[in-house]
Amino acid sequence: MEKIDYSKLKFKSGLEIHQQLDTHKLFCNCPSVLRNDEPDFLVERKLHAVAGESGKVDRAAEYQASLKKTFVYQGYKNSTCLIELDEEPPHEINEEALKIALQIALLLNCKIIPITQIMRKTVINGSNTSGFQRTVLIARDGYVETAFGRVGIDTICLEEDSAREVKKEGDKVYWNLDRLGIPLVEIATSPDIKSAEQAKEVALHIGDVLRSCKVKRGIGTIRQDVNISILNGNRVEMKGVQDMRTFVKTIENEVLRQKELYDEKTPTQAEVRNALPDGSSEFLRPMPGSDRMYPETDLPLLKISREFINEIKKDLPKLRSEIAGELKEKGLSEEMIKLILNEDKIEELKSLANIYSNLNFIVKMIVLFPKEIASKENKTFEKIEEKIIDYYGDILRLLNKKKIGEGDVKDILINIVNGKNFEEAIKIEKADNSEIEGEVLKIIKEKPGLNANAYMGLVMAKFKGKINGKEAMEIINKLVKKK
Amino acid sequence: MEKIIAKPGDLVEVHFGKVIYEGIFLESPESEKGIILLKLENGYNIGLNKKDILKIVTIHRGEDKEEKSEISKDNKKPNIAMIITGGTIASSYDSKTGGVHPLTNPESLFRFYPGLFERVNVVKVEVPFMKFSEEMDFKDWQKIARTSEKLLNDSNIRGIIITHGTDFLHYTSAALSFFLGKLNKPVILTYSQRSIDRASSDANLNLQCSALAAISDIAEVMLVGHASEEDNFCYAIRGTKVRKLHTSRRDAFKPINCKPFAKISQDTILKIDGHNLRNNRKVKLDLKFNDKIALIKLYPGQSTEILDYYAKDKYKGIILELSGIGNASSKFIKKINELSNKGIIFCGVSQCINGRVDGLVYSSGRKLIEAGVIYLGDMLAETALVKLGWVLGHKEWIKSKEKIKEKMLENIAGEFNKRLEE
Repeated sequence: MEKIDYSKLKFKSGLEIHQQLDTHKLFCNCPSVLRNDEPDFLVERKLHAVAGESGKVDRAAEYQASLKKTFVYQGYKNSTCLIELDEEPPHEINEEALKIALQIALLLNCKIIPITQIMRKTVINGSNTSGFQRTVLIARDGYVETAFGRVGIDTICLEEDSAREVKKEGDKVYWNLDRLGIPLVEIATSPDIKSAEQAKEVALHIGDVLRSCKVKRGIGTIRQDVNISILNGNRVEMKGVQDMRTFVKTIENEVLRQKELYDEKTPTQAEVRNALPDGSSEFLRPMPGSDRMYPETDLPLLKISREFINEIKKDLPKLRSEIAGELKEKGLSEEMIKLILNEDKIEELKSLANIYSNLNFIVKMIVLFPKEIASKENKTFEKIEEKIIDYYGDILRLLNKKKIGEGDVKDILINIVNGKNFEEAIKIEKADNSEIEGEVLKIIKEKPGLNANAYMGLVMAKFKGKINGKEAMEIINKLVKKK
Repeated sequence: MEKIIAKPGDLVEVHFGKVIYEGIFLESPESEKGIILLKLENGYNIGLNKKDILKIVTIHRGEDKEEKSEISKDNKKPNIAMIITGGTIASSYDSKTGGVHPLTNPESLFRFYPGLFERVNVVKVEVPFMKFSEEMDFKDWQKIARTSEKLLNDSNIRGIIITHGTDFLHYTSAALSFFLGKLNKPVILTYSQRSIDRASSDANLNLQCSALAAISDIAEVMLVGHASEEDNFCYAIRGTKVRKLHTSRRDAFKPINCKPFAKISQDTILKIDGHNLRNNRKVKLDLKFNDKIALIKLYPGQSTEILDYYAKDKYKGIILELSGIGNASSKFIKKINELSNKGIIFCGVSQCINGRVDGLVYSSGRKLIEAGVIYLGDMLAETALVKLGWVLGHKEWIKSKEKIKEKMLENIAGEFNKRLEE
């Protein structure tokens, strides 16, 4: 691939990150859970084009309406209410979600907007039963520092997620209502980003801020769009650029696409494109006009009091990068820090550290071992953890008293998972050293001339995990040398 | 801060502490006079406390946009007329003020709903007044009836659609049923529960189905609106047997103690129940009305003083929403007996909404009948109130209590159903 000279191309880019929050829905009391069971009911609806504030029908909206689709919404009796169905006005905004959004805004150095209005953004592709998405601007004018300079945070909005597309059948589009209304924080940076690498750094930093707050985790809970223009051309919005492995490549490919258009003297269209897994992209729809916002007339102005903001400031969560630094100082290895952050087990680690001083081992016990057991048993991490979590303290206390060794702990956990009570589980059947020595001698005799590692393999196969590998190796080394 | 000279719709610069905001100046909300609203370039509205504003500079004046709406005419299609009276279906978001207001140019309603014109030619649009339905009284019903008469007796028009607020729509539909008498053409009342500026508005289907009903052979006063939560069918429901049963759902109106006339989709009418047929008679209005009437819902432990109040204020008739199948407490029975002897007309309906009252089942009911209460069977309380006002408005009928009773029990506009199936 040719090297891209970003400054010569007058590359301008900004990010738009959407992150789901881990609370109930934003304007109703339904739980924010995605479901894969059969829906309890279906509701068929139509949408029609509406004129925006200026009286003109939105270009993008018109485009969507021209599709003349029927929308079929799937719902569940115990997790869909009249609000998702657009059959009841919204309730007042979810205060917990507002609080989390404000935490994120403060961590990104933004200024909170004390009086603001919940808006309706016209969306008529069927992804919202109402025909609009509710969104509110809560903060502006923040920044993040990068190695290539400061990047501004233009706006932070709190909004409702859209329904989830399930399938298309002829002129019918099926949407599941489980995702509609889940609180989303939308972070838009200024177009200050000067290269794909800098974009990546900004994305990672914002990701770090988000994960330090109460947000949803896993695939689909964060969506990232990148706005790109070159040579003062039109802005193109790339949707779904959240895979950090192809992030830089996707941006580079779009720059090259726009450059090619420029060279052919074709103006770049202001459009929305969808990022594909291979780093390329496809046309999605024309860019919606700015004409499509009007107030949510069913709700009062949203006022964010100074007291509320101060209360949040007092109790801001620590950034993950800060926590990582602290853990490193306490002697935790990089690998273990990564594990503990990925699994969100910092609180557990902190409390167990009061019992046992080897933090690396604690991480092994509470993250690595359950993972290994889970994959062996073909169960989820959570299922395994549920069975053993109550015994972590007792196990560490036994370790402190040297009643058991670190090498025994995984077996003890397996015993508990297999249903043994704790007393039974800690009785690890151990071959004693003389038995091992006898067996090693026998093996050396049968197959002379192998190296220590080869003997180790044979010995371990024989004892099937009943012996400690470290001790076995010592014995083998001793006996092989003797020969 | 100096006096604000900017007008809603102007592009302004607001100097607010160290920050300068640029945006469109909007009207302050009614209850928030200390705040100005500003629409930022990105479309979001924010509020700013007036007392913290240093100054507001107008960059340029907003333009008055004349909303032009041409009704698309097509003489090959059947002609209908529309009467617009206000309510959600004729309200829209106003970008200049930031609030929802009745349409200043009600015809602009059609700009939102081109689907209405697929089957009909709207030749006349009348706007007798613009009101939310909770503001209306019997004089407004009379105005609508007068406007309707003129249109119904115009041979050029096949039927009429009346758009109306939902809250008290079923009172208007009952009033028109009595005021317009035997009809020659369909009179459709329709509504919306979602404002018309949203792409999901129920008005779209309601208007399209209304258009179909207006050119049908069902010569009745009927309400046409969503049959369910879905955008596929509407019901056409008799004006005297319909009630708003939900605060916010699209299918808020349900037929009570009867079946709908028809189930209507965008292109078909499926008849369900019998109706009066389209004909060439002239419609004759009967607008007489006496509004010295009241509707009282009985509740546990209720004092009878409320009845004394109405008696003292010379009320002529009272509809009682009785408990269950038609009962009242003994102290109420005593008071009703006393006032009935003084000439006040009492009629009984049920607060159960569904089913009919029957005064013969319990002794409480028999005593109420003895006290002079007229049991109105399966008639809805709201319809009963309207009918009582209409009956008491007729001098020739109020000479005797027997005549009043006879008229209240006569099935004039389908307000009674002798056969309850559900």
